[in-house]
Amino acid sequence: MPISFEHVSYIYSKGTPYEYTALKDVCLDIEEGKITAIIGQTGSGKSTLVQHLNALLLPEEGTVHILDRAITASEKPKQLKSLRGDVGLVFQFPEYQLFEETVLKDVAFGPKNFGASEEEAKKRAIHALELVGLSDKYCERSPLELSGGQKRRVAIAGILAMDPKVLVLDEPTAGLDPKGTEAMMTLFHDLNRKHGKTVLIVTHDMEQVFRYCDNVVVMEDGKVRTHTNVESFFRDPAACRDMNILPPALIRMKEMLKENGFDIPEDVLSTAALADCIARQVKNHG
Amino acid sequence: MANITLGRYIPLDSPIHRMDPRAKILAMLLVLIAIFFPAGWLGYAIIFVAASAVIIIARLSFSFIWRAMKPMLFMLVFLFVINSFLLKTGDPLLTIGSFTLYSDAVFQTLYIAVRLLLMVMITTCLTATTKPLDMTLGIEDLLKPFQKIHVPAHEIAMLISIALRFIPDLIDETERIIKAQESRGVDLKEGKIMERIMAILSLIVPLFVSAFQRAEDLANAMEARGYSPGEERTRYKVLKMEGRDYVLLAGAAALLACMVWLAYFR
Repeated sequence: MPISFEHVSYIYSKGTPYEYTALKDVCLDIEEGKITAIIGQTGSGKSTLVQHLNALLLPEEGTVHILDRAITASEKPKQLKSLRGDVGLVFQFPEYQLFEETVLKDVAFGPKNFGASEEEAKKRAIHALELVGLSDKYCERSPLELSGGQKRRVAIAGILAMDPKVLVLDEPTAGLDPKGTEAMMTLFHDLNRKHGKTVLIVTHDMEQVFRYCDNVVVMEDGKVRTHTNVESFFRDPAACRDMNILPPALIRMKEMLKENGFDIPEDVLSTAALADCIARQVKNHG
Repeated sequence: MANITLGRYIPLDSPIHRMDPRAKILAMLLVLIAIFFPAGWLGYAIIFVAASAVIIIARLSFSFIWRAMKPMLFMLVFLFVINSFLLKTGDPLLTIGSFTLYSDAVFQTLYIAVRLLLMVMITTCLTATTKPLDMTLGIEDLLKPFQKIHVPAHEIAMLISIALRFIPDLIDETERIIKAQESRGVDLKEGKIMERIMAILSLIVPLFVSAFQRAEDLANAMEARGYSPGEERTRYKVLKMEGRDYVLLAGAAALLACMVWLAYFR
């Protein structure tokens, strides 16, 4: 049962001079158990799209199907609570949602809201903190006195502790250092591969899309421009550029090599494989 | 939250939008004073017609005014209930059991409702057609004469413009935090008392933290660019009164004079 958008439209501030149509008749099927990247320029509707997944926004028109639930314009909030537990949504700069006295309490806040006992919530919080790489010496500290990167981890742990089936992340690595970014992306990759969670990531970083994601959705002007798997997406760098997307470094390298007479097969998709390929051809040539 | 209409600037192009903010602020003050004279229904009708004319010229819609008025309705209902219990003068209109509704209660409430409506109309005419930045420039200029008695005109204007500038940001921020906490299972609409206190706390703490953070960032950014409050400064935008601004002021003054005459000399 995939996650699907059927003719979904969304309008902000309807009926005021500020009216703005953010989604226009979006039809989209997202595979479960995969990592899907959602890319597109600022204002293309990415964030609006993902907020439909846990019914923070209800579609103006159309239906969103997710985890055997149908979300329409008239869905009542009461039925939505269990959905919000099953679809964990991490906002942009989630560190602003921290408010508890201690890190542990803050992370346990989510599970408790969804009905876990105090004990259970704490256990899950400690586990989630471990996942994001924060040892238990952080548990009793105030989340407000941590560094930016650590706050981000605590906030993400707060969602992971809810143990959602679908994890939706809106630019989770924006503003993190390269090491933190790597650790985060590896974590999401692991959650998908080892724990079978469906992961959706809104991102601007093509390297991340290329290295960690299975599928890619390109949003443009409130519509889905392209939806395909990552491999075939980057096979055509010219089409990427046409959508104002700079292909990842490896793809650009392949492009330049091809222009200069190298013969690079399509299935070379890692730095090591590319290096091998070049070495072989240089040797044969000489 | 994005539907708050009271005090919101509507970016349109109209003669009213292009007027000097000082003229608009002064005119608004004059008309607001005029509303408080007990000029009777005729007086209010005149102000209503004048305000409507300005609204039409400014190309604002009346539904916009109505939406700005809506939050006041609850207050008016409340007032009506109180009035109907306390005011026992005038003719009895309606009797239910031992309770009698008198005409004065109805008229008093209606009177206040009309005044409130007029005030909302007039202030909306100003706020919806004047960019917040222009408004503070206007306020600063109007406060200039009071600098002689040590009113810090520039600082007050800066304070107001910063406060205004942060309102939309804080509204956005609140919405963001509400959504983020709702994603963590917070239910703002129902729940036990303790849960609701927790829910409110989960909004207020992050909101305060981010507001202080923003204030600090802004203060640093201003200092980094050499801002010093007492300094004499020039302006990029120099306000200039034109013919139509004087017409507006004269119109407002005439309205005030008219109300005074209606109230005391007729």
